[in-house]
Amino acid sequence: MSYFFQLVVSGIVVGSIYALSALGFVLIYKSSKVLNIAHGQIIASGAFITYALTLWVGIPIFLSFLASMIITFFLAMSVERVFLRRLIGEPIISVIMVTIGLMSIIDGLVYLTPFGTENFSFPVFLPTTPIALGGVSISWTQLVGVIVTFIMIGGFSWFFKKSTVGISMRAVSDDQLASMSIGISVPKVFGLAWATAGLSAAAAGTIIGNITGLNFDTLHAFGITVFPVVILGGLDSILGAVVAGIIMGLIQQFASGYLDGNWGLNGTAEVLPYVILLIILLIKPHGLFGIHEIERV
Amino acid sequence: MSTNRWLATGNYFISYKDEQRIYFTSLDRTIFTMFLLVLFAWPVLFPLSNKYMLVVDNILIAVVAVMGLNIVTGFAGLISIGHAAFMGIGAYTVASFSRVLGDSHVVLTHGWPVLIFLGGLTGAVFGAIVGLPAMRLKHLYLAIATLSFQMIFQWTIQILTFFDQGQTISVGRVFWITGKLGRKEHYFFWYYVILVVIIILGFMVRNLLRTRYGRCLSAVRDNDRAADAMGMHPGLTKVYAFGLAGFFAGVAGGLHAYLYRGVGFESFTLHESINFLAMAIVGGLGTLNGSFWGPVAIRALDLGMENLAESMGHLFPGQTNLATALKPLTFGLVIVLFLMFEPRGIANWWRIARSYVKLWPFRY
Repeated sequence: MSYFFQLVVSGIVVGSIYALSALGFVLIYKSSKVLNIAHGQIIASGAFITYALTLWVGIPIFLSFLASMIITFFLAMSVERVFLRRLIGEPIISVIMVTIGLMSIIDGLVYLTPFGTENFSFPVFLPTTPIALGGVSISWTQLVGVIVTFIMIGGFSWFFKKSTVGISMRAVSDDQLASMSIGISVPKVFGLAWATAGLSAAAAGTIIGNITGLNFDTLHAFGITVFPVVILGGLDSILGAVVAGIIMGLIQQFASGYLDGNWGLNGTAEVLPYVILLIILLIKPHGLFGIHEIERV
Repeated sequence: MSTNRWLATGNYFISYKDEQRIYFTSLDRTIFTMFLLVLFAWPVLFPLSNKYMLVVDNILIAVVAVMGLNIVTGFAGLISIGHAAFMGIGAYTVASFSRVLGDSHVVLTHGWPVLIFLGGLTGAVFGAIVGLPAMRLKHLYLAIATLSFQMIFQWTIQILTFFDQGQTISVGRVFWITGKLGRKEHYFFWYYVILVVIIILGFMVRNLLRTRYGRCLSAVRDNDRAADAMGMHPGLTKVYAFGLAGFFAGVAGGLHAYLYRGVGFESFTLHESINFLAMAIVGGLGTLNGSFWGPVAIRALDLGMENLAESMGHLFPGQTNLATALKPLTFGLVIVLFLMFEPRGIANWWRIARSYVKLWPFRY
């Protein structure tokens, strides 16, 4: 039974990271209907910026965490300004392909730095002895990671519920024409959506980097794993991203805990999300919390 | 058309037949024939080393695959991020024969045209299955569905012991009328085979676009509700577009298996799917000659960057990362720049050049 609870705990840890990664993705999709395939690369660069600031510049890790979020905020905003602003109104494939191109460009830039090929890990700043509760153990980094994730998610929901900027972003995602008519600058909101997505990506990247270590491949793989999460939760729902992220984390942990090694299966955690994705697309394409506006043909 | 279309200022078709011609002018036909002659003649006149011949063959295989991708993405407007997986299906069809019968069984060495065709058919079946969500979904969701097919394909190949868990499964050398092919003529021989396949498939695509089924594709792309109102079945059309694309990819995969004399899983990754999409975009979506120029451009860029990184490595030793960095960097830049400044691809340059000649000495 404690094995089960151990899987639940690690599922929630993984899931909350998925939730935070998916959050940025959903933000961009919700406001500008862009499928950002380069999200994993943004997550990775956020983590690397934190690392570089902590070790190479020598700022305390909490400050560099904040600084990295701010830097990625402006980076993502400028990415939107340079590459995506002029593609507003272009066919959907161009926009997707631009994010794919962006993915390659960031890949190339990262490979120019040592981060592309070597593994790094953040300096240890938390107690290394895991907390044990009746057979279930969780390490301090995981616990702090989950707490920070939930604080971030809470902050974001406050931002969208209460602040003027957040409300204008929701308005744009609801109806672009109407929000333009009441004086919201739609391109600016697109930029802000990218910027906040970058911010959350940097946070997710730093947390993942603290838990699993910094490896470019594992970090940018999150950009692809986020797809099943957002489809399960509904492409345009922030609540959906959070819930589906945790569900997906649990499913993955249970799959690797109970399925792997039996019946010759291996690495089921990597494929099961995509199988679920296909099933959801066939049965309930708008996901758990998405808006029913799928156009049937 | 009696008047010279090169001098005309617009399209003056006066009958449907005019519009449906394969070549609009005799000049088009001449250029095409000359181009084919060059393609057939150059390997004899300027023999290349095996290394570069392999690159050329590789480009041609990519042309086959991109033609298929152009049907589904260019003509039918559905984004497929799983094209390499369909290609893998074709290749693994050949590989499974090799696993069961042994890699130089007579079926493999003598029946290769049949096996390649069979690879195409399997690809088509899988394409149609993956396309099934297209009955209900549009754009983005479909792209994600194909992406997940890609991931499931990779996982399945890596788990199945039948496919040696993704390690290379060898496929024997084939026989031609002259007997078993030697090491020297291998790439040379396959160059011509793939070229013939491309010509056959190219004419198939060109003909398809003149028929009702091909026009269904672009009608569904442009406006599926209008297409529905015109009595077409958009869902079925999409499934069938995916099936066709799967067929082309499967044929490409079969050719790939024979060309490399082996099937390994690393040739059919997500990265390759993205490569194919980039080729289709750079060449020009929804154009037939774009499916030729795109692979040429992207593969040439790859090769050029490899050589550049190598020579840079001699100049600045220690920069070992340069090769791995330059490739994705230039690849991404090319995609982004093409999308921003030439969304209609290289195929459009031909049009621009033609209108320049047509209007010279005036600007417009």
